[in-house]
This record gives sequence, structure tokens and C-alpha cells, in this order.
Amino acid sequence: MLPSRSKLSVVVFLLPPLLLYAAAVLLPIVQSLVLSFFSWDGISDMQFIGLANYRHMLTGDPVFWRTFANQLGYVAICLILQLGGGLVVASLLATLTRGREVIKVLYLLPAVISTVAIAFLFQRVYSIDPVGPLNTLLDVLGLGGQERPWLSDVHTVLVAVSAPEGWRFIGLYTIILYAALLTVPRELEEAARLDGANQWQIFTRIRFPFIRPVWLTTSIMATTYALRGFDIPYLLTNGGPGQSSELVTTYMYKTAFTSTDYGYASTISVFIVVECLVAVGLILLVLRRKAV
Amino acid sequence: MSTRILTRPQPSATRSAPPAGQPAAARRGPNLYRVLSRVIIWVLVVVQVYPLVWVFLTSLRDERDFASGNPFGLPSSLTLDNYSRAFAHGHLGRYIANSLIVTLGSNLLIVVCGMMGAYALQVLGFRFSNAVRAMFLVGIIVPVQIALVPLFIDYSKINLLDTYPSMIIPLAGFALPMAIYLFSSFYGYIPRETYEAASLDGAGPYRIFARITLPLSVNTIVTVVMVNSIFIWNDFIFANTFVLSDNLKTIPLGLQNYIGAMGKTDWTATFAAVCVTVTPLLLVFLVLNRAMIYGLESGATKG
Amino acid sequence: MTRRFRLRSAATTAAALVLALTAAACGGSGGTNSADVDPQGTIKPREISWLLSRPADGAVIKTMSTLADQYATTHPGFKLNLITTPDRPSYIQKYETLAAANKLPELFDTDATPYAQKLAKQGRMMDAAKLLKDLGLYGDYRKSALDYQRFDDGSLYMIPFEYGLEFFWYNKALFKKAGIQVPASLDDFPAMCTALRASGVTPIALDGQDQWPLERYAAYQPFRTAGPTYVQKLKKNQASFSDPAGRKAADWVSALGKAHCFASGFSSAGYSDAQALFTSGKAAVYNIGTWELGSLATDKLDPAVRDDVDFFTLPTTSGSVTAANEYVAPSGIGMAVNSRTYDPLVRDFLKFALTRYPALYAATGLLSPTTNAKTAIPANATPLYARAVAAADTVGTKPAMPWDTQLDPTTNTRLQQELVLLAQGDTSPSSFTSTMDSALRQNAPKFFK
Repeated sequence: MLPSRSKLSVVVFLLPPLLLYAAAVLLPIVQSLVLSFFSWDGISDMQFIGLANYRHMLTGDPVFWRTFANQLGYVAICLILQLGGGLVVASLLATLTRGREVIKVLYLLPAVISTVAIAFLFQRVYSIDPVGPLNTLLDVLGLGGQERPWLSDVHTVLVAVSAPEGWRFIGLYTIILYAALLTVPRELEEAARLDGANQWQIFTRIRFPFIRPVWLTTSIMATTYALRGFDIPYLLTNGGPGQSSELVTTYMYKTAFTSTDYGYASTISVFIVVECLVAVGLILLVLRRKAV
Repeated sequence: MSTRILTRPQPSATRSAPPAGQPAAARRGPNLYRVLSRVIIWVLVVVQVYPLVWVFLTSLRDERDFASGNPFGLPSSLTLDNYSRAFAHGHLGRYIANSLIVTLGSNLLIVVCGMMGAYALQVLGFRFSNAVRAMFLVGIIVPVQIALVPLFIDYSKINLLDTYPSMIIPLAGFALPMAIYLFSSFYGYIPRETYEAASLDGAGPYRIFARITLPLSVNTIVTVVMVNSIFIWNDFIFANTFVLSDNLKTIPLGLQNYIGAMGKTDWTATFAAVCVTVTPLLLVFLVLNRAMIYGLESGATKG
Repeated sequence: MTRRFRLRSAATTAAALVLALTAAACGGSGGTNSADVDPQGTIKPREISWLLSRPADGAVIKTMSTLADQYATTHPGFKLNLITTPDRPSYIQKYETLAAANKLPELFDTDATPYAQKLAKQGRMMDAAKLLKDLGLYGDYRKSALDYQRFDDGSLYMIPFEYGLEFFWYNKALFKKAGIQVPASLDDFPAMCTALRASGVTPIALDGQDQWPLERYAAYQPFRTAGPTYVQKLKKNQASFSDPAGRKAADWVSALGKAHCFASGFSSAGYSDAQALFTSGKAAVYNIGTWELGSLATDKLDPAVRDDVDFFTLPTTSGSVTAANEYVAPSGIGMAVNSRTYDPLVRDFLKFALTRYPALYAATGLLSPTTNAKTAIPANATPLYARAVAAADTVGTKPAMPWDTQLDPTTNTRLQQELVLLAQGDTSPSSFTSTMDSALRQNAPKFFK
């Protein structure tokens, strides 16, 4: 705490951000929470129905649970790509001697392209009729038997819609993790090497524990962004085929704006908020416990 | 005093240039490992850069060539026709100007409010600061879609619909938590003694903010601005919900002009428009990338 | 009882306080009389807006803005703002949000959906039948063009601006190569596909991404075997998917899938992809409306297939209750007139514009929703163009309604999803019908009380 601070100065500095935040985020959240106890189509009178929306969501709506399972899969794939991939690439980048700055910029590029263009591109990449690059590549590698319409196959579509989202932000996480890796004291690594530790042991015993705080931050960022994922699945498959790539977020959007069931859509939003809070809690729990 | 701050060890600068050749790894690790890692790095560069190149090449394709030819091959002939269609069917200049206004306006709000909030939470400190911090963190998590209907009705009540603020306020509001988080991490970096010394010199909280915190925040500001600009520049959902008139349309709404009857899309013109509209963002990105990456890194290493 | 009541009122108060949404929600019930199509008063020119979902550079927008400019020269101060969102899902989101906030402009586009019917019932839209009769234009419209805009009870609240016929376009050369004729019955489709597949082409180009094209296929069999009443009963949960007509639809779509009628991976193919497949000669059949004449029957079409393209209309089946000249003939999304902002100016402008619209619109080479304007055949048209246009004069009286505007939105979404699974062979016709019936039971009553 700053010794010379006054109560007034705290208020002066805190008030503008609080006002903005309250007007744009808190108020609509509270409004959604209230709406979740109503049945409302936007144009007729609102009807208070108590917990009926929650009851329907938890016990009477198999589509909802399907989308929840999909969302978990989506998060898992995004995390593997963004955190796992990011860590591997960051480690590799650390061995590089020249051109690292340029490469870091190049890695960030996909983030600037609009999702509309990305969705269109990946639709081509996954295509089989006409044959797209992925299926061509499989053919070249002698895996012709694995060729398939990736976005139409109910078994592969979830992975196929998750991958572009994971890929877009690999650069971001690579850079963050790379910076963290640079802070690992080299003397520690050298000492371990002299003790005969191999690369893997150095990584798990020395590097990773050292970057754990950063890992925690990036995990929270990546998880919550993935739980909010919307654009690419919506544009690429619109949830299909069937509900194979429908996420909780796209389902909520459709419930609100296709079915005009704002009450139920708000219930699903409340679930998304809770889901994110639980996820962050779990991450903190797991990573803190390991650290002790 | 200021020299002391500036010479504070910079996290990446200290270790960003390890001795050339990494002798340890070179001696021990088999050459195969090094070659393999180079290959992976460059393959990934191709994977990351290719989409942008692809969008650009497609924007130069003839429509028929695009429809029937191999979309990944080189175009059989180059044409600027798509660009003339892109400019003819939409007021691209207008859209870019609107996107600039919205992006700059939101960023201004995000940066000012973000710095103030972080300063109050991290530097000034107060009794319920942890609760307030947690409340802001909730915003990182909340999906923006839930705010659409309530905000729309609120805005229509106060006649804010179809104005720049109707886009700027929610865009800034939803980006604020992340900004506060990044600024707070960075402010946690500035050593206590700096503030204490300044306080002893008789500086109040406002002067400390203006003289110490603000000048030191430049890199973080750039990071916050860049990360948010990427999202705001491409935002569709708020713009589509709150904007009605043509002269307020931003780029993502403008891209819709290439959609024809029953969902038929003029893709080559769309990509031409994407190329035109991504250029300002890309230029800023290329110019400011060092500061941005530095900001990301310093935010990260604080953890 | 009292406790429940108290709980209710407490909750309502909370809602009113926190949201102030209720005012918005109830606002629609007031307002002007939706049947008073000729209100008293003088014409005061002002700016009016039309929220629409049509191509930005399309003929409707071009024609209407020309007419608005003409009207403004004699009525200084008048201006027509055209606010278009061509992407339909984005448009619907925008239109529903505006309706919820009670901020719909003077004119807005909508299909004859159950949601629109709610708006009409609340008196938010002008009675279009009365309005057109009052303007003396009602008789000019094609019967099927108006019928497409009607709600089930026969009431009319939307005015059409387009007209189209949906055909099966096909490639004669590919049919010849496969040694087949145009199918005489819907039931011949699977055999047609098998033969075309054997000759190495994709039988049917289908835009799976936009959902409605596959839904058309689901509607065809019931339309032939049970007529237009089936879907009208179905959506109210008075008929079911496991009825003979519904089962026939499921079996047929499943059979089309088994015969590999559609391109592998069709579910993620977009509108342009499907059309490219057909216009590049890689697919033999393409089901689309006459709004695509510019791409299919002019010199814009690839010369390699230009002379091979022809069309046939929806085949009948044995025991068909609808005639061969009855098929899908949509008049596009309709325009509703907001009753709250309706005044002598809106009426006068509509009279001015709607009277002159058909001739100007038909001059662009498209079919007018009225019978009093002759479509101009463009100079670069192939002979097919005139034949397709001529077919409009022989369309029968029973309309084949697209199901996506008929069913309640939740059931419709589910149907679109399940149809893809059915056509891909990921679900069986029987589990399809039982899934759909339970979705219908759950959702239809909410919309059709």
C-alpha cells in the first residue's frame, strides 16, 4: 500500500473502471440471472417460472449434456494444442540462436485474420470432395485409409473444429511460455546435467517447477478462452452433423436467437459462468497442490 | 530516481541472448535433435504464415478459377477484379474509418480504466481490494453472448443504440478485466522502494501515478492495445447487434455486403476486402510487435 | 395460493426493477390499429427505415432505392434508409433483438414464421391484405406469391418483393453418359444416383451448411403423398413424423444417403461450393430457384457445361395428391409494415413504390411477384432463361411450403441436424422419427397454443 494514499484517491482511481465494468458487464450478468427464472420470448409478457429452466437444463435436455461433453472435448484439444504445443515450441525456440524475434512475430500472425476467413480456409483444408490438403497429405504418407470428410464424420468433427481454435493462439502461448523459460537459471540446469540428468529430467525437475506460476496463468487464460469458444465451430459446422460439434456457447446462442427462448438461454449462460469458475478453481487446486 | 527505474533488470533482456551456439546443448545433444527442432520450428512458421498468404493469393484469383480450380494451387492468372468489386459493393474506406474509431475509442477506455483500476488495486491498495479483484476476474470468464439482449434493451432505453459508444462500451467493458490483470502484474514488478522514495519526496498518489507508473507502463500499454485490437478489429457480434445505419458499419459488418441471395457469397471479393481491411492492423502489428511481445513476456514472467 | 402469489409478485417486482424489461415486453400490445390502413392526416415527409435481409447490390434494394429517390424529389425531406443484413442468421438475431426492445423500424423483413405470427397477433404489423386492397394492388399479385407469405389461418401480413420457382437443374451430358433419363417419380431418385455414381460423377450438389436445401428434400415426399396440409398439422403437433407421410420422408432421405446421392462431406459444403460443383460439371443435379438464372442460364456459365444444362420440376409419385405443376414457388422473405409507425406518409410512399415496383424489377430480368410485369430476358441469356421464366405462368394452386418457415424454431433446428445424420447414415429412419417426434412434442405446444 502506498503510504501517502488517501481514501479519496482510491475512489478516484477505482470509480471509472468500476463504472465501465458495471455498465457493460455486471448489469447484463445480473439481468441474465434474473431472466433465467423467467420464460420469455422477447415479445410476449414475461412469465415467472422459478427453477423450471434449471430443472429442464439439468434433467430434461439431453442436447444440453451432449453440448457440455463436446465443450469439455473442445477445451481439452485447445489446451493440448495451446499449452502443450506452446511449451514444446517454446522449448525448441530456446535452442535457436538467430531469428527468434522474427519467428515470434510470424507465430502470432494467425490471430489477426478474421475468423470468417479462417473458417473458410479450414473448410477447404478438411474437404474430401474435392480433395483438400489434409486428405492429400494422408494419401502421400500412405495413410489413404484414414481419408475422410473430417467435418462431416461424427467421430472426427469435434477434433476438426477444435484444432483451428487451438492453432490460432499457439503463438501467443508460445511467446509467454518462452519468456518464462528464459528466466530459468542456467546454472541450475548445468548443475543437473553434471549430475547426469537427461533432457527430460531437466525439464520435469527443474524447468517446469520454475515456470509453474506462469503455467498457472496461461492455463487459466487458455481454459477460460476455450470455454468461451464460439466463432469457429459456429462458422465451420454450425454444430453439426447432428449435435456432434455443438458447444454450450453455440447452443446458448441458438436458444436465444433461433428459438427466442431468452429465459432458457440465460439459464445456460449462468451455467457457463459457473462452469468457468469451477474450471479456474480446479486449475488452482491442482497446480497449487503440486507446488506444495 | 528515474535512472534507477530504467536500469531495473529487464526480465527478457537479461537472458534473451545466451552465448552463441549454446555450447552445452551442441556438445551433448546429438546433432539430430538440433536438426529436428529446426525443422519443426520452420514447419510451424509455414503453418502459421500460410493462411495469410492463402487469403492474399485467393484475393487475386479469377472467380471461375476459384470455383473450379484447386483452391490451394497457384492461381492460373492474377486479377485485380476482385478488389474493384470489393470497393464497388462496399464503402471500405468508411468501414475502415469506423473500425478505427471503435478500436481507438475502446482501447483508450481500456487503457485508461485498466491503468487506473490496476493502480488502485495493486499500488494504492484498500481493504476490499481482493474482493474487487475477484469481481473483475469474473469478467475474464463471462461469455459476451449473454450480454446481448439485456444490453440492447438498456441501450434502447437511454437512446444509445446505433452510436459509436454502443459498440465501444461493451467491447471495452469485456476487455477491461484482462487489462487490469496485465497492468496489475506489471505494477507488482515496480519495486516498493521506488514508491516509498517518491512518497518521502512529498509526491501524492496522483503525482506518483503520472510521474512513475504511467511512464513505466508504455510496453504494457502497447501489449494491451495490440491484444485487444486484434479482437476488437474483428468483432462481429456487438457491431451486428447495436449498429443499424450503414454509415456506422465496421469492417466485419461490411464484409457481409459480399453475401448474396440465399447465402451465396462472393468469396474472392470477400478475401480482397479481408486483405484491404487487415492491412492497417497488420502494419501496426509489425511496427509495434517488439513492444507487444516484450509486454506479454513481462506480464508472463511475473506470473 | 397466497404464498405462491407473493413469490410471483416479488419476482416480478425484481424483474421490473433490475431489468425494466417488462415495459419493453408489454409495449407491443398497445399501439395503433393494425387494420386501419388509411389513417387520417396529412402526409408529412420524414426519414423512414427498412430493416431487410437481401443482397446489398441486389435488384430489390436497387429498385426500391431508385423509387425512394424519385419519391423524395416530390416530397422533400423524405428518405428511405435501407438497413440490410444479408446473412440470414445474423439478420434474425438483429430483428428479434429489435422486436424485444420494441424498436422495429417502419418496414422490416420477415418470413411467415411462428414468431412473426406472434408479432402479428400482438397487432404490431399492418394487415397486408387490407393494405394492398386499399391501395388497389391486391389483384396484381400472383396468388402463389401471396400464399407463400400467409400464415396458416390465411391472414396476410407480409408483402412479397420477389418470386422464384425451384427446379432441379441437371446436366444432360452427364445423364447421357450414365445412361439415364430424367426421373419420372421421386422414388426413382435413388436409382438415378446409383447410376450417376457408377459413371463417376457426384449425383446431386447440395449446400449442407445452410441447412435449408436438405430440408427441402425432407418436404418433397410428404408434399406429394399428403399435400400441403401435412406440415401445417405437423407443426402444431397434430400430426407426427411417424405418420406414413413422415416415415416416407425419413425413408427417402435415408435412401438418398445410401445411394450416395450427395457429395461426401456435403454437410460442411457452402452455397457457392455446391453451385461450383454443378457449374463445373462435377455434379449432375442441383436443386435451386430461378433467382440463380443469372448464374445458370447466361453466358456467365462455364462454356463447357453451358449447353448441357436443363431443368425439370419436382417429380410426382404414384398416388400423389398434388399435381406436377405444384412445387416450391417462394416469393422470398416478405416485408412487414410496422403498425406503430404507420401513418399517411408510409401509406403514400408504399402506394407510390409498390405501383411502380413490378415494371422496374422485372426489367432487371427477375420474376416479379405480380402478374402485370413481363420479365426482361437479358441479352446474354441462354434459351433456357426464357423457358424457366415461362414456367411461372403455369404454377398450380397448392403451394409447397418450405418447412423451415413452418415449424417452430427449436424443432426446426433439431430437424435440420437430424436430417444430416439421416442422410449420412449415422441414424436410422426409425430413430430419426422418434427423436423428431419427441422434439416436436416438447417444443411445438410452446409456439402454437
